Amino acid sequence: MTYGCLWWYYECPNCGHKFKYGTDQFEEFGEDFGKCPKCSTPGKFEKEGAIMPDDKLYEEC
Amino acid sequence: MDNKEFKNKRIITVATTGAWPKKENNPNVPMTPEEIADDVYACWKAGAAVAHLHMRDDNGNGVMDPVRFKKTVELIKEHKDCDIILNLTTSGDIHADDEIRVAHVKELKPEMASYDCGSMNWLNSGLFLNSPKFLEDCGKLFQETNTKPEIEVFDPGMIANAAYYLKKGVLKAPLHFQFCMGCANGITGSMKNLVFMKETMESLCPGSTWSCFGVGHSAMEMLYGAVAMGGNVRVGMEDNVMYAKGQLAESNVQFVERAKRVIEEFGCTAATPDEARQMLGLK
Repeated sequence: MTYGCLWWYYECPNCGHKFKYGTDQFEEFGEDFGKCPKCSTPGKFEKEGAIMPDDKLYEEC
Repeated sequence: MDNKEFKNKRIITVATTGAWPKKENNPNVPMTPEEIADDVYACWKAGAAVAHLHMRDDNGNGVMDPVRFKKTVELIKEHKDCDIILNLTTSGDIHADDEIRVAHVKELKPEMASYDCGSMNWLNSGLFLNSPKFLEDCGKLFQETNTKPEIEVFDPGMIANAAYYLKKGVLKAPLHFQFCMGCANGITGSMKNLVFMKETMESLCPGSTWSCFGVGHSAMEMLYGAVAMGGNVRVGMEDNVMYAKGQLAESNVQFVERAKRVIEEFGCTAATPDEARQMLGLK
């Protein structure tokens, strides 16, 4: 019913990379949930949604 | 119904549209009665035995419009060779009042309709309310219209709700469950949880049939798991607009064909609509 999981969208405050994590991946990523896949810096939370119009700008983790 | 006869059959339900995905999420989501009817017919030819239907208004928003439901059903039935089971949602608009949620069931008396057996926070942003009164009235209505409830459950507590209504006579055995796995605020989609849901169902509502789908990352795990565990499956853009990571689904037929391949690779076969009617105990 939700056409996919609920995504959390981030921007890395260190390198500017944009990425997203699914809220159904809390267990999978553990403490690394929300970290930048490029530099491992905790991301700055931007928004949440079930796929957003600018979704392609964000790397899926 | 002889369970042994259908031991190697799996029912594919296709949920073509849902209430949420828009064309900007996936341009291939069918939305108009004509698009939905054409899609359902194609999915039936691909192996779906049940079609779960939602309607949309002219702006693409989920709507409980009995006129659109009727139009869509009529268009599907224009295909005289198509005997797919129609399963109409009662939860296509979380703002709809209880009366409008079932108006189309009263009029069309479908073989199946959804029965969301509890309330939850929806996407952490709204309330998906299914009050005790609504569930009691809906259950009794379904008995009057001879409509088999597709008991959608998003967590084990909703299975307990179903057991309560079964004991109370609001629902009639054998029940049919749809485990909605991996939805935000619902039970996480995992094999451990799927086993738990099935075992909870078997202990509280023995003799029930079940189907399941996984939303998001759990989609394929739930598909394979359900087939392996003897359950049935639901696929379609209501639940997933992505066919794979980074890959938009081209069509609902694509989902149905994949489900059929998975079922057949496992050594089972996709049930025809008539076989599904026997498995589910439909009129």
